[in-house]
Amino acid sequence: MRKILQGLVLTLMAAHLGWAQKSNPVVEAHAVMATDAAHANSPVKIAVVAQVAAGYHINDHKPTLDYLIPTDLKLEHSDQFSVIKVVFPKGTPKKFTFSDVPLSVYEGSLVVGALLQAGKSVPAGTYTVKGKFAYQACNDHACLAPTSVPLTLMIKVVPKNVPLKPVESNVFQRIKFE
Amino acid sequence: MEEQTPNDNVPQETKAPEAKATPRSKLLAGALMAVALVVGLYYVNRYWIAPAVKAQNKGDESHPLAPTFSLTDITGKPLNLSDYKGKVVVLDFWATWCGPCRIEIPGFIELQKRYASQGFTMIGISLDESPEPVVAFYKELQMNYPVAIGNDRLGELYGGMPGLPTTFVIGRDGRVYAKHIGATDPHVFEEEIRELLAASPEAEAKTFHQAGVVFADDKVELGNPAEIDSEVPGIDLTKLTAEQKEGYKKLLQSKVCTCGCNFTLLKCRQVDRRCTLSRKLAQEQLDAFLKTKPPGATSK
Repeated sequence: MRKILQGLVLTLMAAHLGWAQKSNPVVEAHAVMATDAAHANSPVKIAVVAQVAAGYHINDHKPTLDYLIPTDLKLEHSDQFSVIKVVFPKGTPKKFTFSDVPLSVYEGSLVVGALLQAGKSVPAGTYTVKGKFAYQACNDHACLAPTSVPLTLMIKVVPKNVPLKPVESNVFQRIKFE
Repeated sequence: MEEQTPNDNVPQETKAPEAKATPRSKLLAGALMAVALVVGLYYVNRYWIAPAVKAQNKGDESHPLAPTFSLTDITGKPLNLSDYKGKVVVLDFWATWCGPCRIEIPGFIELQKRYASQGFTMIGISLDESPEPVVAFYKELQMNYPVAIGNDRLGELYGGMPGLPTTFVIGRDGRVYAKHIGATDPHVFEEEIRELLAASPEAEAKTFHQAGVVFADDKVELGNPAEIDSEVPGIDLTKLTAEQKEGYKKLLQSKVCTCGCNFTLLKCRQVDRRCTLSRKLAQEQLDAFLKTKPPGATSK
């Protein structure tokens, strides 16, 4: 009986929750580097840390069904850095009332990695890498229009003789670049 | 004083073995309580929550006239809402990428089959960016009602689309009687369609009552055409003189939008009508602008 009551209350709360939060961003995201700076002619690891609001999900980069809009990271072309690869986490299969099959989705916190390559002759200085974290969010009852979070990352290039210090190790532990 | 144990005052003979609840009777009692709870919640919503939400809708805005539109449906035929005057219309804003929207469609097909001959029609407005997936889905499900590709302006006229599906129920008199955000049981629509089919096409159905669970977000609030069709979308400039409009637009051009678009406030408003931050900032700029140059003020 308690379970039935809990189920009913949660269903009603979930329906309310969805729209109570509509004025707040459903996804917040920011980009970070794996080191405090970069060297010319070297790989540069960056990550996008995204947080999906409670009650919502966004689709896997490789969605379960054709019609779903995938989560994506789009990095703008840069003269100093080229994109080698982008690594998305595996989604979590979850059953929704609107689908007969479980859908692979991202909920809560997720980290997307990107491996960049600094150009051979990039002079020391600070450069801006821009991108967008694109997603389409839903809850169990309704969906929001596809949208994106703009990203800006300042990358400081230092001479080869300046050692690089690892930062954000807890974030980069979650990414398998290989 | 001696403490009593819970059973001290209970005569043993009252503990008859047949009084013990069996797992089956417990299950039955639980099921009955669950049914009673669901029925109770239904009536609480019907007679308490729904009227409270409706109370916010009183006055002339209670059942506003549905904004008209003229589109071409995906089969190439004209689709004008005004052509359906006198009919009950369920207007469904949806998209093929939206699972909760897709799951509603078979129910809409069924409603169209059942009530089309009685003065009812479904209309689908897809907010997909291109018609291809819509046409494919339309054919796959053998949809039996008109579907057109919508646009941001139409969505704004209907009060904006914070989530899909968003579905409006329009009466024979052309007024919007109900709004449902999110996947909704087809029986809810059926109940509303029946009620509106029975209403007069000449007068507002003032006793209409929205079926299903009604939330505050279901309140029908249509968009303001003065804001939607403004040179600065989302901002009502009708009270400004031509000179003031130009001054205000120049002011917005000199301000950078901080939503991350890297545009000026004016450009952000013009290219991204959904950006809530640029709208808020542009309104703040207008309020400040009008304090220095009130409406009707002219420079010499």
